[in-house]
Amino acid sequence: MWQVAPAGDRALLITLGTIIDPALLGQVLALDRVLQDGRPSGLLGTVPAYASLLCHYDAEVTDAARLEETIRQLEGKVDGAIPSGPVVDIPTRYDGPDLPEVALRTNLTPAGVIEQHAGREYLVYCVGFAPGFTYCGELPDQLDVPRLASPRLRVAAGSIGIAGRQTGIYAVESPGGWNLIGRTTLRLFDPTADPPARFKPGDRLRFVPIP
Amino acid sequence: MIEVIDGGRWTTIQDRGRPGLERFGIPPGGAADWFAARVANELVGNRPHAALIECTATGPTLRFDADGVIAVTGGQVASLADWRTVRVGRGSTLAVGTIAPGLRTYMAVRGGVAVPSVLGSRSFCQLGAFGGGFGRPLAAGDRLPAGQAVGHEPETEPWPPSHRLPVRGPWEVRVMAGPQTDAFAGDALERLGATACLVTPAIDRMGLRLETPGLRLQSQEILTVPMTAGSIQVTPSGGLIVLHVDHQTSGGYPVIATVITADLPLLAQARPADTVRFRIVDSTEAARAWRRLSGWLELDL
Repeated sequence: MWQVAPAGDRALLITLGTIIDPALLGQVLALDRVLQDGRPSGLLGTVPAYASLLCHYDAEVTDAARLEETIRQLEGKVDGAIPSGPVVDIPTRYDGPDLPEVALRTNLTPAGVIEQHAGREYLVYCVGFAPGFTYCGELPDQLDVPRLASPRLRVAAGSIGIAGRQTGIYAVESPGGWNLIGRTTLRLFDPTADPPARFKPGDRLRFVPIP
Repeated sequence: MIEVIDGGRWTTIQDRGRPGLERFGIPPGGAADWFAARVANELVGNRPHAALIECTATGPTLRFDADGVIAVTGGQVASLADWRTVRVGRGSTLAVGTIAPGLRTYMAVRGGVAVPSVLGSRSFCQLGAFGGGFGRPLAAGDRLPAGQAVGHEPETEPWPPSHRLPVRGPWEVRVMAGPQTDAFAGDALERLGATACLVTPAIDRMGLRLETPGLRLQSQEILTVPMTAGSIQVTPSGGLIVLHVDHQTSGGYPVIATVITADLPLLAQARPADTVRFRIVDSTEAARAWRRLSGWLELDL
């Protein structure tokens, strides 16, 4: 059952689930497409993330109850398959400042951490937090480490971090609490590009170690 | 052209921002006190969302290369008459100075500030370090082009005090329940409503950290969800982070309630050590509050 709740007087948050699950992301993206294509009256824009979709509306054209009714009619009717696309390689230099600590916590050698991290394909679940920040999942069990006890005030653009069952790429310099294990020179955010972010939810990528 | 002699504490160019790009991680941004910004533009005869100068705590010092018309609104400054148009002469210098009461003062220039538009807006985006003409707050030596006047003639009367928002605490800020109110104990929102929250020094355009003396809300991280301006996040330590216009577009702390659009300007003017009381309202009252401010903006001076 989808949960529909107000996020202030101008938006509704549709929560499809509460876990990281490709099937839930697929449904979020399908709902997003249907709403983008159908443009229900008063809907201004949508924001997808993992298992939820935020719907901004024009309160002078529609209201929360009417929009909820429109969205409820789609429940159980959206096709949740994620379209298959190319797997994008992220050239990664595994020299992050937290790599030794992650190795200690996971009972792996640094090389073992790299092998686990680079040895699989990831799904992009969300672009958010800061411009272009790319949330990917899921990490193998073995690499599940908590966030830093106190976040860094500055994390450089291109840094690659891990936290819980997620890995992410910082696209711009920002504060951050993830364990930094590597970095890439690939540019993930460019305000002059269209679209400005390199990835979108549903994309697939892989980290490729470089010396 | 306007030359920046001194940038002040944190002075940026803002318009209505970039709503609709949150899916790229880009916050909506725009003037933090949208109401004061709209009035400043109205006074000088600009379009409602023309780019203007948002000053924080201490305003900039500016030199005007040409005769012009400006208006300042929002937080008070002692340097010039506010909430009305002021003519500035060619070659004149204006030191905006300290802002108090209030935190943010808006200076509209007739014609608007014509810095280049990036992703549909002239607003400075701090997280992305782009926009606002320079990709950073204003600094000495910056030159701001003024645009062509396109709206009506500047207003000659001051904006009436009866149609302004307060710029001094204590603050009463209206909130609607949701979206994660259910993640808290049944009476948590009522208890929050009964608490005089304290504004900490950690405040900026991204959000305001508040303490809740005498109240310890229980919170656990949730799966990352999209966020909006006004989201009141509860951190695991029980503190609040109220997201503002340059907010992170997604987050993993549950949101106990959301500030209504009409009251976001109040949080743009709140200062450290101010108290904030949240009053829980429904969507009908939120709509009424919005209509009231919209009505004020249609005022015929």
